[in-house]
Amino acid sequence: MSSSLQNLLNNWSQYRKGIEEGGHHKYEHRWAMVVDLNLCIGCNACSTACYAENNLPVVGKERYDRGHMMHWMRIERYWDESPDKEFHEQGASFLPMMCQQCGAAPCEPVCPVVATYHTPDGLNAQVYNRCIGSRYCSNNCPYKVRYFNFWSYYDAAWPEPLNMQLNPDLAVRDKGVMEKCTFCVQRIRVAKDQAKMENRKVKDGEFTTACAQACPTNAIVFGDQLDAESKVAQLWNKHQVQRVVTKQDKQNPDLRGYRILEELNVDPSVMYLERVRENVA
Amino acid sequence: MSGYDLNRRDFLKMMGWSAAGVTLAGCDLPTTVTLEEGKETVVSYLSPEEYVIPGVGVWYASTCMQCSAYCGIHGRVREGRALKLEGNPDSPINRGKLCQMGQSGVQGHYNPDRLTQPLARQDGKLVPITWDDAWKMLADKTSNLSGDRFAWVTGTVSGHQAVLLAAHMESLGATQHFVPEVIAPSVAQAVLADMFGEAMPRLALDKAKLIVSFGADFLGTWVSPTHFATQYAQFRAAPRGILVQIEPKMTLTGGNADLWVAIRPGTEGALALGLANLLLQDGVQADLPEGLRNTIAGYDLNKVAGATGIPAERITRIAALLKQHAPSLVLAGAPVEGQAHGYEATAAVLLLNVILGNVGQTIVSNGEFPFPQLRAKTGKRRDLLAFADAAKNKNLDAVFFHGANPVYHAPAYLQLSEHLQNIPFKVAFAQFPDETTLACDLVLPVASYIEDWGTHVAAYQPEQGVISVQQPLMEKLYPGTPGLGDALLTLLKAREPQKYEAWPDYYSYLRNAVAALPAEYKGDAASDEEFWNHTLQKGLIKVDVPAKPLNVKLPEITLPEIPAPDAATLQLTPAAQLGLWDGRHANLPWIQEAPDQISKVVWDAWAELHPSTAAKLGVKTGDLLEVASEQGAIKVKVFVFKGVHPDAIAVSLGQGHEEYGRYAKGVGANPLKILNPVTDAKTGELALYGTRVKVSGLGEHDKLVLEGRGQSAQFGRKLVATVPAEQFRNTEGA
Repeated sequence: MSSSLQNLLNNWSQYRKGIEEGGHHKYEHRWAMVVDLNLCIGCNACSTACYAENNLPVVGKERYDRGHMMHWMRIERYWDESPDKEFHEQGASFLPMMCQQCGAAPCEPVCPVVATYHTPDGLNAQVYNRCIGSRYCSNNCPYKVRYFNFWSYYDAAWPEPLNMQLNPDLAVRDKGVMEKCTFCVQRIRVAKDQAKMENRKVKDGEFTTACAQACPTNAIVFGDQLDAESKVAQLWNKHQVQRVVTKQDKQNPDLRGYRILEELNVDPSVMYLERVRENVA
Repeated sequence: MSGYDLNRRDFLKMMGWSAAGVTLAGCDLPTTVTLEEGKETVVSYLSPEEYVIPGVGVWYASTCMQCSAYCGIHGRVREGRALKLEGNPDSPINRGKLCQMGQSGVQGHYNPDRLTQPLARQDGKLVPITWDDAWKMLADKTSNLSGDRFAWVTGTVSGHQAVLLAAHMESLGATQHFVPEVIAPSVAQAVLADMFGEAMPRLALDKAKLIVSFGADFLGTWVSPTHFATQYAQFRAAPRGILVQIEPKMTLTGGNADLWVAIRPGTEGALALGLANLLLQDGVQADLPEGLRNTIAGYDLNKVAGATGIPAERITRIAALLKQHAPSLVLAGAPVEGQAHGYEATAAVLLLNVILGNVGQTIVSNGEFPFPQLRAKTGKRRDLLAFADAAKNKNLDAVFFHGANPVYHAPAYLQLSEHLQNIPFKVAFAQFPDETTLACDLVLPVASYIEDWGTHVAAYQPEQGVISVQQPLMEKLYPGTPGLGDALLTLLKAREPQKYEAWPDYYSYLRNAVAALPAEYKGDAASDEEFWNHTLQKGLIKVDVPAKPLNVKLPEITLPEIPAPDAATLQLTPAAQLGLWDGRHANLPWIQEAPDQISKVVWDAWAELHPSTAAKLGVKTGDLLEVASEQGAIKVKVFVFKGVHPDAIAVSLGQGHEEYGRYAKGVGANPLKILNPVTDAKTGELALYGTRVKVSGLGEHDKLVLEGRGQSAQFGRKLVATVPAEQFRNTEGA
């Protein structure tokens, strides 16, 4: 094995393991989420709110079929009954899926131009102007929540005057650029600026993401995990879910909190709470 | 400004420097810019209009009009443009939340297919005319109109628009007002009115320990979905209520059930009486008339199990749950009321609440709303039939449409398109070129709800009674387009000028109306001006409705014997969903691209079949089917899954538009077209679930586009994990 490849692999391992030794980042905020699947009804309000807030293009049937859809927030739907049952007797399993803003994100180190990087807020940011469209990040994402602009959608998605709805707080992305959920970074920006102007810390609940705002059952909770008073931090603690680890070692294993695919050592920032069903059959 | 062909004047307007700012501020501030004929005064950005700070969004309260639940909204406005809608936290209806239809309201407002100028039919074609000509034509053609040969056809109207609409009818001596809404709970309202004395009593889902819903899709398409979803969150909090959903096709609510029970369509009433029988046999005490008791006694377990196709032990289990968990709540939705015996079936289901003692617990009185003239005139399926009849029998000389699309909704057997030719003067007050609008002789484009004034009173009122207030979030995109209120006021002024001359526009009318409210509504507001501003800030007026007990009056229930299933045909189940609704949102691209919650289909109509039925027909997901009734046939693609009864075919509702703009036109098929002429015997409501259809594969495969490519297995990964409710109660409190 050539020395340069060896070097790369050594560094890779250090990068991938570094998170367990305290990580490489000093965080100002740690934006995180909780999604309660006992409350989620799969209604799409979050997803549509995301389209409205984040200038997501509608791609149409043919492009959707080719996998060009741009929904940063999607609701996956699973059927969990055993195959011999005649009906889906316990309903559907809905799963809102968006970027998990990993602490050790597999998308970040593979970007050849550092278009995707880790912010001091713990977000996986995407710099549209830097992105060259290699799509390595998307390949590497275990959650498949990165969306590539195969086309320019200006005219197709926003024929006049639909373009007047576009949110001026963020860009409309062009062909050849990767994009993804930002935890509504434009809202975070406004809240941080406001707090700074008033010489105070950002208060829990003074703003939230578009999806959490819309959710009719309050299944989505968003906040700063470094703020011990925040609802998010308290829920993570209550459900004894730790960051960084690849397997939770809970005192009470019956608590519902879990992180999806955390065994990959990606340290997702979204904690899900298990779906609940009464056994009445 | 690249890409936009904007002139200076438009630019100023868009930036909020024209009269829009005045409208937004909601009171009579002096304008800083005047744009008159040939004269512009330019004012520096350094002295901006109040509330307009470039780069800063301001939120204004208003009311969502995407369905008739009338949720409160906050609209974000920046540089004179409405950008995003969110729920109004002060509204007791939706408590700050907004569903995907409400979120998509901006796409109706900015829709590229909106009508922008009046059209009149000349030589068979609709051609553009000026606003002056349009109003003149309207006045000319209606000046000698005889009131009994005139009709309004509208969507649900309430508030002061309803007041003016009634006044307009009165000025003409007209009495015919049709409100054709196909997915309105009109049979349930008739049953509730007879049984409890109120068409829309309040339902306390949050207080129930068990909800047994017979097809009432309260999270999706039933009555006030966002309100019920907020209640559902409380219902599901520890100690967590149980939800049992019994229906022929899985709705969004069914997808969230602890137990989803497939029932043979049309047998819901029998199941309800069977459950009643089990409960009475099990010693539940209920004060029932002798006749009803005898009817119930006729529904023994084996008979009911045989009729409904539900195993006897499951029926016993549901009865046991109902007995154990009090208070409970039993609901009846579209599949129950949409039958030839819909009234009786709905009454049988709601009767369970009386037997279980839920009345006064989870079903409570909404009291008497103090302003009856503002109450909603709610939609009815029989109005669709009645209007078609009036057209057929040549009883009408003129008809005005607003917010209704009967040509799209009418089953083919009504031949509404042809009979419309019998009405010499058809006027559409419309935002979009839909099927009905394009059949009219005069088309007057109207303002979107984001540009309009109004007050709205939802038929279903939450704990706190409210009048939802609607104000424009921005200047009109197309000058001259009136809202419903302004259109009515103009019509009224043409008939009774002296009576309405005090109000130059609907805004001033509404301001006066609000100022005229009794003093107790105004709290400590120092002036009418202050109260008006306060009202606009809040987006609603709270109304205290004194509670009163519900008077239970039990009807006789006679259900027909259910024939054995006919193996050659399937029961057609037109399935509405939260999104396309009754088809009115098919022109919104976000709604088209949002996957159906259950099937995950995008941009299409589809027919759901149980795997066993699909196997018999030899079809798989994506194959083309022909679905044929006595009245016609449609082609639609199959979606195979285990959330539909083997005796049913569920065809999605809302697609199959022949007009309605680029996003809706030509997408999928419309199951309403092939409905048989079946009506509920008691109420005369069109039965949506009363049609048997022959289904055959066409031997062609077409593609259904599905979110996640239809993948629905987790392959052993812990993506969505499920835990028993017992465990949840232990860890998160009882």
